Amino acid sequence: MKIRATIVKEFLLLIRDPGGMALIFLMPLTLVIVMALIQDAPFRDYQEMKLDVIFVDNDSDSLGRKIEKAFTASGNVHLIAIKDTVEAKRQVLSGNYKAAIILPRGASESLRSKTGNVIQSIFINLGMAQADSTLIDKPSIDLQLLFDPAIKMNYKEALSNALEKVLANVQTEWMLDELQLQLSDGAPRKNTSKIDFAKLVSIKENYASKKKERMMLNSVQHNVPAWTMFAMFFILFPLAGNFIKEREEGSMLRLRLISGSQFPVIAGKFAFYFGVCLIQFVLMIAVGVYLMPVLGLQQLILGSNILGIAITACCVAMAATGYGLLIAVYFKTAQQALSFGSISVVILAALGGVWVPIYVMPETLQQISRCSPLNWGLESFTNLFLRGATTVAILPDLLKLVAFAIVTLAISVFIHKSRTIRN
Amino acid sequence: MSEPIVKIDSLTRQYKGASQPAISNLTLEIPTGAVYGLLGPNGAGKSTMVMMLCGLMNPNAGSISIMGMNVSEQGSEIRKRIGVAPQEIALFHTLTAYENLFYFGRMYGLESDKIRSSIENYLEVFGLTDKAHKRVQTFSGGMKRRLNLIAALLHDPTLLILDEPTAGVDVQSRNMVIDFLQQLKTKGVTIIYSSHFLEEAEKICTNLAVIDEGHLIIEGTPTQVMSKHADCKNLEELFLKLTGKTIRD
Repeated sequence: MKIRATIVKEFLLLIRDPGGMALIFLMPLTLVIVMALIQDAPFRDYQEMKLDVIFVDNDSDSLGRKIEKAFTASGNVHLIAIKDTVEAKRQVLSGNYKAAIILPRGASESLRSKTGNVIQSIFINLGMAQADSTLIDKPSIDLQLLFDPAIKMNYKEALSNALEKVLANVQTEWMLDELQLQLSDGAPRKNTSKIDFAKLVSIKENYASKKKERMMLNSVQHNVPAWTMFAMFFILFPLAGNFIKEREEGSMLRLRLISGSQFPVIAGKFAFYFGVCLIQFVLMIAVGVYLMPVLGLQQLILGSNILGIAITACCVAMAATGYGLLIAVYFKTAQQALSFGSISVVILAALGGVWVPIYVMPETLQQISRCSPLNWGLESFTNLFLRGATTVAILPDLLKLVAFAIVTLAISVFIHKSRTIRN
Repeated sequence: MSEPIVKIDSLTRQYKGASQPAISNLTLEIPTGAVYGLLGPNGAGKSTMVMMLCGLMNPNAGSISIMGMNVSEQGSEIRKRIGVAPQEIALFHTLTAYENLFYFGRMYGLESDKIRSSIENYLEVFGLTDKAHKRVQTFSGGMKRRLNLIAALLHDPTLLILDEPTAGVDVQSRNMVIDFLQQLKTKGVTIIYSSHFLEEAEKICTNLAVIDEGHLIIEGTPTQVMSKHADCKNLEELFLKLTGKTIRD
């Protein structure tokens, strides 16, 4: 009865506080939308690389055609053919293009000669042929890969790797051609079918998820749960604000004067703000599912473990409310509580991977990150949304959240009770 | 003669860092059914005394017994039976008068019907019926003070402790409060009345104690107190004689 009365009282206090309402509901909704929109492009950049690259084919032979064919097939790199090397360099230097591939004159001929010599050397070593004085070792010709200094490292590496792969394939193919020629003793080949190296071992890309649909981290999948948790932890603002206001205005003194009111006061506040956190969660998730697609972003995919999501939301709400209560009870002035509270939540959020995933952090920081309750929550949501995890699989993180909530709540009750009677 | 409702024995309380105790070796008894005036200048130790009477502050030495129970040991039990109107307005300012009182009634563990009838009764007595559903933040100082007093009465306490119940209010509100306390006196409720207003105290108190710098200076019925200082025409003169004319801040 006393707890219910406190919940009703907290509800009335909150709905009459427009600033608090905005802070709890409006700000997080705005935040999650803005962050998802802002981070949409970087997320696409990392995962859906599309790069225009200048291609200067001074060779005009088979190597150039093979490079062109390979990149056209990849879909990630679009080659822009330019004839002039100087112009290509100027375009890259000016930043109009991030990279240029410059194939020198005679590149095909040089590579063909080199592969022929390699095979010839093998045959000589095996005693299957005699040294041929007519063989000419052509000088190696360097293929130039020109980069804009501002190119992202992952783009640079991806382009270099792709080009190396194309060249390796061409070399192998030409070596086999030469081998076939040598073994046939110069006779015309009857079967000239080419070997498709790509089919020797096929790599089937898939994601280690239990879901059938292709699912990967994108701006919405990262930002909605991440900022939802951030908002839930910001519950400390109205919670601590109201609590300290009650203490300063004197109503808390009245409650201290009423026997047996200490536990219901704390429990009622906890229950109410726990409920507010859950409402925040539902609203933010609804924004991810229904509003994000309208804004041109991907839809938030929740996966099939709705019970797991609900349990995780409850655990995060408990942890957030417990933390808010501790801040409210411990600090004596609103200024202290709100300053410490907001900064600590920002730090916990940063460490927890709300801004950037923790795998991009240094190892030491990653270890520290695993102590943030926001990280436990975020990991659980990522596991549920993307990896289709079962509730049992995320149980360790859920237990950490519950333990965090219990500890913060217990300390809050202890401090509150100890301050009721001054010694 | 009935047992005193409050027994204070050699009570001492010194705050950390303070050069002298706020209450020093104070002993007194408050008779059941009395309106007991606790008088003294600013910093005399009245509020410290009230805090200790409510069990919200432990003494360094000595003891307080209320209704036969030790405050330090059975504070929780005692708080169920006492009503306290603290000096500050201990109300939720964005709630209405009714919402405030209903919530406090609930926290006292009262049933809805009892709370409703008490609220209606006291709002009527204190002239706040038409303001029942207005937020406290819109109230005048006098209205807040009266509501503060009602919040202490909802559970029908045996002992009522009032710390400056008429501070900062207009004459009308003050009169209303004094009239009510006089009615309450007839019902046998013991009232501890801490105040600066000596005229009020003289009017309603059956017993008085003047404390200054933590010490009990004089104690007794108004007649007894005045008879000890026959040169003083009234309580105010006596008060100034006992506590001096130096301004206290």
